Amino acid sequence: MAKTRLDRSEQINGWAFVMPALVLLGLFMIYPIIWSLWMSFQVGRGANFSFGGLANIQRLANDALLIKALTNTTIFFFIQVPIMIVLALLLAVALNDPTLKFRGLFRTALFLPCVTSLIAYSSLFKSMFSTDGIINQALLTLHVIGTPIPWLTDPFWSRVVIITAITWRWTGYNMIFYLAALQNVDKSIYEAARIDGIPAWARFTRITIPMLKPVILFTTILSTIGTLQLFDEVNNITQGGPGNATLTLSMYIYNLTFRMMPSFGYSATVSWVIVVIVAVLSFIQFMIARDRRRAT
Amino acid sequence: MKQLGSGVRAGGRFAAALVGAAMMASAAFVSAASAAELTVWCWDPNFNIPAMKDATERYTKAHPDTTFTIANITQDEINQKLQTQFLAGVTDGLPDIVLIQDDNIQRFLQSFPGSFVPLSDSIDMSKFAQYKVAAATHDGKSYSLPFDSGVAGLFYRTDYLEQAGYKPEDLQNISWAKLIEIGKDVLAKTGHPLVSMDYNGDDLIVLMMQSTGQWYLKDGKEPNIIGNPALKAALQTFQTMAKEGIIKSVSGWTDYTGSFTSGQVAAVPQGVWITGTIKSVPDQSGKWRVAPMPILEGVEGATHFTNNGGSSWYVLASSKHQDEAVDFLKTVWGGDVDFYQGILINQGAVGSLLAAREGAAYKESDPFFNGEPVWQNFSDWLAKVPTVDYGTFTPEARMAVRAQIPNIANGGDIDEALKAIDAQLRQQMQ
Repeated sequence: MAKTRLDRSEQINGWAFVMPALVLLGLFMIYPIIWSLWMSFQVGRGANFSFGGLANIQRLANDALLIKALTNTTIFFFIQVPIMIVLALLLAVALNDPTLKFRGLFRTALFLPCVTSLIAYSSLFKSMFSTDGIINQALLTLHVIGTPIPWLTDPFWSRVVIITAITWRWTGYNMIFYLAALQNVDKSIYEAARIDGIPAWARFTRITIPMLKPVILFTTILSTIGTLQLFDEVNNITQGGPGNATLTLSMYIYNLTFRMMPSFGYSATVSWVIVVIVAVLSFIQFMIARDRRRAT
Repeated sequence: MKQLGSGVRAGGRFAAALVGAAMMASAAFVSAASAAELTVWCWDPNFNIPAMKDATERYTKAHPDTTFTIANITQDEINQKLQTQFLAGVTDGLPDIVLIQDDNIQRFLQSFPGSFVPLSDSIDMSKFAQYKVAAATHDGKSYSLPFDSGVAGLFYRTDYLEQAGYKPEDLQNISWAKLIEIGKDVLAKTGHPLVSMDYNGDDLIVLMMQSTGQWYLKDGKEPNIIGNPALKAALQTFQTMAKEGIIKSVSGWTDYTGSFTSGQVAAVPQGVWITGTIKSVPDQSGKWRVAPMPILEGVEGATHFTNNGGSSWYVLASSKHQDEAVDFLKTVWGGDVDFYQGILINQGAVGSLLAAREGAAYKESDPFFNGEPVWQNFSDWLAKVPTVDYGTFTPEARMAVRAQIPNIANGGDIDEALKAIDAQLRQQMQ
């Protein structure tokens, strides 16, 4: 009996402690999520909206601009994420080498980009890559190019700039995860491999990568979500242009909500598209990682 | 139980104290309110803000009880804040007076009815340039105090044109085709492109199209893309200019303004509000002049007069001091001719009050523009700008056009581009 009372008191106290957090969570996270789901079934402009059933989902199917945004996001995803992950991995391994001098300095230098303000670095990239910017001037001086590259006014080059910008910003961030994971790899494994005469490249592919697989999975999922939510860089460097060449899903949602005649219901539907894609991609990535673990 | 009771009493006392404090606070608020504090939101610290400041100073001389707070908020942010708060139905924190660009106002008027005070009830709208009034008229009522005119002209560098063998007379009343010929000569002889254009924008297209009285939308409602001769001619003209290499492509506003302040391009076809930026480089004084906009030859209704941008003042229905706000706009912006002379000289602001054109400053010539009576010219053109109905979907239409700009510049088929613009616009108008 006494035990039950104690249990009950513990339970009440426990709930009392988490309640404020739960209320806040419910108010600021759960409620908006549910509301946006409800919103995604509304049609109409601005404050005049009404229940539209599946009209927004039908609209998705015929939306060429959404397809464009999706294509751009996919391009960024398939080109940028692998480049960044590989680069981060190679840098992490290089900086993990105890014989390397000024390791701390290099690590700091590589990590610094991701503590810079998104707006500040985007503005900087914009001015660096403008037609008369420092990049073109440097390339012209070095005789790499004969005429300035239209970095921001040509659809192809503007994508290159965006990919360069996000790689610069986020590689160091992923590198830190790999560095942390590498510290936990038992050095004796590498010693044994070295004694067995395994070359460095094989040590990297056969030992380092498999050992880091959970972290690689984690960073890939984070990068997937990051790419699907890409907004700041595009908004500040290219505004989604030229000719929608760098329009991303988030940028499209922003345009639907704030730049055009506001169609809140439809922009909520597009937001849910991102949620679904993130869920599906994360699931696939989990499955791939799990299957490989079973196979090995 | 006893403990609980005392807790309730303590709570009661606390609540009473709170109510008391709230009453005192609201009393303080009411007394402050009777001495109307008006908040204004607008953008551009070189243009709108000093003009508004000047206006408030004139008003407070006669109405010392009224005070003003002018906040510098970007145009994007104003749109975003208004939209979010109107939707949420929360009007706390919104200003009393706000500046909104003309081609953007209809969506607010139509999608958030009742959010603005109809000014035509208290101010005579016939005193202003009619195309400005039309832009802010919804259901027979006009909501704006028309301000900054977007009336446009062709600003050009006399020195570059002279090197290419042209005199100011050669730029009077010409067509775009003739301007392209001039541009080719300027490029060949001086190496300077004729104009610059943001490839993420459609200013040039808008300027050409409105000069014919045509717009992206028919009666502000239906897309007017396929079978719009003015739009097709404008896109073709742009394509020719790009092909001849006389357009310098830029990205973003800073790049755009930099292209002429640094002397790279020979001309700037733009709204009069660009004057301040052009004059921001004092050592280019005397090198600039302004010609009427070239005509889009072969298109019905084509004129030399057009408009781009331009914005107006609105009073929010949520304002607690609507009467003061309306009175302020009516007194200064809607009647003080002298005030307009000041902002014209200081900011290069050509207002939309027609009577202001009779003031002395409008007759002055400007040494920066080679002693040309630029203001007289702009105000003459102002009255002749063809009226178009921007409707609700102009932002969507402009986005659809922008999407095709790089493609057209690279020699893409114009009819295909028009189809793509039409398709995107129709999709977005759902």
